[in-house]
Amino acid sequence: MERCHHPASPEAQAVQRRVILVGNPNVGKSALFNALTGLRTTVSNYPGTTVEVARGTFSSADGDVEVVDSPGVNSLLPLTEDERVTWDLVDAARRDARVVVVQVADAKDLRRALLLTLQLGQLGAPTVLALNMSDEAEARGQRVDAEGLSLALGVPVRATVATRGKGIDALRAALHEARPPANHLPLPEDVAPSVAAILAGEAPLPDPEAPAPFVARYHEAMLTHAAVLARRFCGTHVTRGTAPLPWSAGFARSLGRLCTHPVWGWPLLFLVLFAVYEVVGVFGAGALVGLLENGLFGGYLNPWAKALFSHLPSRLLQDFLVGQYGVVTMGLTYGLAIVLPIVTTFFLVFGALEDSGYLPRLAVMSDRVLRAMGLNGRAVLPMVLGLGCDTMATMTTRILATRKERILATLLLALGVPCSAQLGVILAMLAAVPFSAGVVWFVAVAGVMVVVGWLGKHLLPGRTGEFVVELPPLRLPMASNVLAKTAARVEWYLKEALPLFALGTFLLFVLDRLDLLGAVIRAGQPVVTGVLGLPPQASEAFLIGFLRRDYAATRLFDMSRGNGLDTVQLVTAMVTITLFVPCVANIFIIAKERGAKTALAMVAFIFPFAFAVGGLVRLVMRGLGLWEMR
Amino acid sequence: MSGDAMTVCLLCGFAFEPGGSACAERGCPLAGAGCRTLDCPRCGYAVPDERASRLGVWIRRWFARPTASETVPQRLADLRPGDEAVLDGIEGDAALAARLTAQGLAPGVAVHLVQRIPSYVIEMGVTTLAVERRVARAIRIRPTQEDAQ
Repeated sequence: MERCHHPASPEAQAVQRRVILVGNPNVGKSALFNALTGLRTTVSNYPGTTVEVARGTFSSADGDVEVVDSPGVNSLLPLTEDERVTWDLVDAARRDARVVVVQVADAKDLRRALLLTLQLGQLGAPTVLALNMSDEAEARGQRVDAEGLSLALGVPVRATVATRGKGIDALRAALHEARPPANHLPLPEDVAPSVAAILAGEAPLPDPEAPAPFVARYHEAMLTHAAVLARRFCGTHVTRGTAPLPWSAGFARSLGRLCTHPVWGWPLLFLVLFAVYEVVGVFGAGALVGLLENGLFGGYLNPWAKALFSHLPSRLLQDFLVGQYGVVTMGLTYGLAIVLPIVTTFFLVFGALEDSGYLPRLAVMSDRVLRAMGLNGRAVLPMVLGLGCDTMATMTTRILATRKERILATLLLALGVPCSAQLGVILAMLAAVPFSAGVVWFVAVAGVMVVVGWLGKHLLPGRTGEFVVELPPLRLPMASNVLAKTAARVEWYLKEALPLFALGTFLLFVLDRLDLLGAVIRAGQPVVTGVLGLPPQASEAFLIGFLRRDYAATRLFDMSRGNGLDTVQLVTAMVTITLFVPCVANIFIIAKERGAKTALAMVAFIFPFAFAVGGLVRLVMRGLGLWEMR
Repeated sequence: MSGDAMTVCLLCGFAFEPGGSACAERGCPLAGAGCRTLDCPRCGYAVPDERASRLGVWIRRWFARPTASETVPQRLADLRPGDEAVLDGIEGDAALAARLTAQGLAPGVAVHLVQRIPSYVIEMGVTTLAVERRVARAIRIRPTQEDAQ
């Protein structure tokens, strides 16, 4: 069989090999990836997409083996961009003899796993089947006949418990025996030609938003066959109540049900939000920022840097590094002392929430609200991630089913969802004003989101997709997994944010030197002072707001501590900067994901809109005479 | 059926037709002016007619459950929480059907409805799915074999 299209010698084949992990979502693919590769992993975007793919290596007797963790899929016929990436990766496996697929299956749910195995068979991709979470299956009284299944499918089948590293060596040893799964499933007559054409590369893949009707019938046919296999090789077939659930699984199940309960779901949701606030807002933005900003940077690093650089011959260079707009004293201090602790604690909590399986349940609870805004419950995932980093969240909007939803979610993220850094600064500003001021800020921003969402729902063409979300069992997150994810995200964030912080500071420094800062401040005065009623210096903050909103918020925060803005001014500033244009990186990502025209249109809308809403909020507050006695 | 029209006194259990003449006979001034109390002609116990209250009707409907004897459930949306059924097919557009089948919803699969609000939550084997009402209406079901016997 001629499968090797690469001009590689047999020796080279043995040395450089690649394993692609494929599997349904929530089958422990990442855990198996970690168990296989250890800590030598890198996360990068799949070429030409924003889908993240983790890569790692392990050493075997005949050289290093690269392991690629593909996005979880339910079917190989792609319905989303993630699934498209998996298709491409698997497609490479059938063309290149050095690439094998390890399909990770949930041993408890053989039927759904076998749907993928059978598709891999049709593709002709050499495969090893890992029956993961086999301990959980046994605890439920299910025993999979691995040998029988292996004979029937013609591929090696190994039981694994990835979280405890069980069966990993056996899995590695089986890579040599990888074969394409047996494929003698007759497809229905109306389906077979279409599938064959796609597999042969003669027909395009189905359009994710409007697939041909044969896709569903194809899945049905495969599932029927998969169910027969699953029944034959799974000791006791899955029926509810055949074996008592282990205590922990029973508890997780009850808690999981409570999380989507029409009544008890709400207190649980607020409990989760409160926990997030305590960790990110109180611990991260409060304690850690105080420690780093006043303690480390204010007490040691900045004085040291000033002392160190005072020996520099040039006054200009000194100012550039440690002056009023110094890269170290302003840029680095803002980035590392204020933003870093907040971002880190947020991603820590978000990573734990992600792994716990709570987020899909949050989607269920928020479905109705988001429906009013032309979205559905799925959109809660990018929205919540946006509270960490809007740029990252904009990439995540591709999990939404239709173009309309993706555009709306992108717009709402760019408009009104403050990222963790900005949120942290805003929370710190709120600490200085009456609680009611915080309520006004929240109502103004949330109100704008709902109104814009509602308008978008009715004005934008297209439709909102149906809400379908899988609820994985609730699990206790694994510390190693959460920490690794957090580290990767924080690194990503720093790489993106710190250069912009430095650039923003440099811009201010240059403008200050050229005496242009005064001109900018004067130019912004009609709007900043006239409409918003802020001191003219606030123009400076809005100017760097074009680079990053959180940087601008930090600048305003600094100013408010210095020259005492009153409550109305503070709330106006907070509302305006929350709604202000997204950061440069986010604009780039919007342009990449939705097109440059859409990105420009969004910025053109948001820029005046933020000032208009800020001015309106100020008028309302002044009109009502809020906090006037102060 | 006269059962709809008849009401039962909450105090003495007497069955009577609401809006009878009892109140008018006792000279109540509101009797003619759209008074919506249920006035028992036997013991005189009077309560506001809940069917006159929009909120009352709404609450009744909220808790009302179609019983198996009344209608054979045809759609997932007709099931009550706790019910089991077998999936029969998926209607609606091809994109929805393709997605649902990829997630394992295929004819012949046993499903168990956990809840209806805020979303329909269904369990099949170890998979749990939450779907909106529109989707639950697009999923055809039939009774499980035990139920059918």
